[in-house]
Amino acid sequence: MQIEVNSLSKSFGEFQALKNVTLDIPHGELVALLGPSGCGKTTLLRIIAGLEFADSGEIKFDGSSVETLKPAKRKVGFVFQHYALFRHMSVFENISFGLQIKKKKERPAPEEIVREVNNLLQLVQLDRLGDRYPHELSGGQRQRVALARALAVKPQVLLLDEPFGALDAKVRKDLRRWLRKLHDEMHITSLFVTHDQEEALEVSDKVVLMNSGKIEQYASPEEVYRNPASPFVFHFLGTVNLFHARPQAEGTQENNRASTAYVRPHEIEIDIQPLEPNNPVAEIVFLQATGPVARLEIKDLLSAQVIDVEMNTDRIRELGIKKGSNVYYRVKNMKFFEEDFVI
Amino acid sequence: MKVKRNEPIAFSILIISIAFLVSLIVIVLPVYKIFEQAFQKGFSGYWNALVDLELLSSLRLSLIVMAIVVTINTIFGLAAAWYVTRFGKRIRGLLEVLLELPFSVSPVVAGMIFILLFGSSGFLGSFLKDSNVQIIFALPGVILATTFVTLPFVAKELIPLMDELGTEMEEAAIVLGANGWHMFTRITLPSIKWGLIHGIIMCTARSMGEFGAVSVVSGHIRGQTVTMPLHIEILYNEYEFVASFAAATILGIAAFAATVFKILVSRAQKNQLRKS
Repeated sequence: MQIEVNSLSKSFGEFQALKNVTLDIPHGELVALLGPSGCGKTTLLRIIAGLEFADSGEIKFDGSSVETLKPAKRKVGFVFQHYALFRHMSVFENISFGLQIKKKKERPAPEEIVREVNNLLQLVQLDRLGDRYPHELSGGQRQRVALARALAVKPQVLLLDEPFGALDAKVRKDLRRWLRKLHDEMHITSLFVTHDQEEALEVSDKVVLMNSGKIEQYASPEEVYRNPASPFVFHFLGTVNLFHARPQAEGTQENNRASTAYVRPHEIEIDIQPLEPNNPVAEIVFLQATGPVARLEIKDLLSAQVIDVEMNTDRIRELGIKKGSNVYYRVKNMKFFEEDFVI
Repeated sequence: MKVKRNEPIAFSILIISIAFLVSLIVIVLPVYKIFEQAFQKGFSGYWNALVDLELLSSLRLSLIVMAIVVTINTIFGLAAAWYVTRFGKRIRGLLEVLLELPFSVSPVVAGMIFILLFGSSGFLGSFLKDSNVQIIFALPGVILATTFVTLPFVAKELIPLMDELGTEMEEAAIVLGANGWHMFTRITLPSIKWGLIHGIIMCTARSMGEFGAVSVVSGHIRGQTVTMPLHIEILYNEYEFVASFAAATILGIAAFAATVFKILVSRAQKNQLRKS
């Protein structure tokens, strides 16, 4: 199912959660809604599900408006942040709920329901746990039950609200890879909300970056990381160094307004000899070289600006530098934005 | 694990004695006295007092009132708690204050309110007279007064419970295709059932025993508007001590049964909470 969101706006009292949001999600893609809390990503997801209603704008599934359709009629599966499993029902009863409450004519026969639930249990790797109750399961298991329950009604769209938010780091990593694999097998158009950039970049086909009710960028993970559309995106997707300057170089700025250069830590190169004439000198004030990639902080001797640097740990050993050493540095790549952005 | 405490032994003994003494004077002795008086003329005297027609009719009236009041309160409590915790954020404060009223207003005053409203010279009196509806000094008045006094029990029990429950489970059911009825009976009700039962027990106990408000609106028409507590008072005023206390034992036993039931329910509820 292809989803089309057209100039959607939504306010809660004074607070404007969504400001004229337009978005087109192609059939079968796994898309991440990424942004800080309060940016409107969950609201957007809930409006698509039919749990919330927009003040203006429209949503179309495969070209037809779903505005008047109830959530169940939209054929969406929704996985809640805190799983929202029915506490008083077993895993089996939870998963079969959507089938059991169907009208008599549409309801599958009991044997059929048992077979389908067992298939789903297998799919989410919980084969033998049908008789358990939610409180007897771990967080990761509960999340998978919630997913199986959502899939039981054969949705055309799968919506997940912070699906891994409440899990610990290890389970989270396993589960998101598993979700990617599952999606590749089933090809349901899926939309998941997250505030974790690593999660969004690793799992999704495309990322929707949102900030205060607006979409900042909608592109592939690679594109948003390599080519951020705005200072916000730059900041949100990892550490960044800012250099305030009036660029002299041709082509970067037509007018002469003050602008800021954004540089990722790995795009700064350091050496014990000048790489080019006029390379600035800095002192290493912090050095952490525990993994394959070392994290450094260097302080420019002239401007006293502290700059984050990431580089190969082996290279540090080659250069024989340590905390307190003076080094030359050079910026390999940078992107300019005008200085009207305040974080 | 035993913790060594530093209070002097004398102090502990004093505190414990006070607790025992108070419960002895306020609870144990009075209850004992009720039964002692009831059985003053032996078991046959007790039995004769119980099978008295007027007493049985007052018991019947009390049970009818209880059944109706508990039903009204259950429906009201569910509806109010549902509305307030799901939609009516704005009127929530107002409703919570209103639910305090029956506890803070004296039952006699509550009864008076209904006289002023529905009595023959009251606000709606002439209208009711014209349409031939009798509320005061009749069953509807007794039911109204009892309902007022017991109104908060179910609602106050359910509101915090439904707050805690949240809306996610209900939304999950809706997305899976449940209609309102399915959602209520299969998701909401099972989740709040212990609290609901708890509230219903409290409401039952109170509606059986209500005296003040009912006394004002009932008119004490024997065999028609005299409930159990009113009948006990009548018997007592007529120096029918055995009959009066025999009737009181019934209310006492009912109250005791309600308490035991309440404890059992609380335990079951705790077990369930521990699980989730």
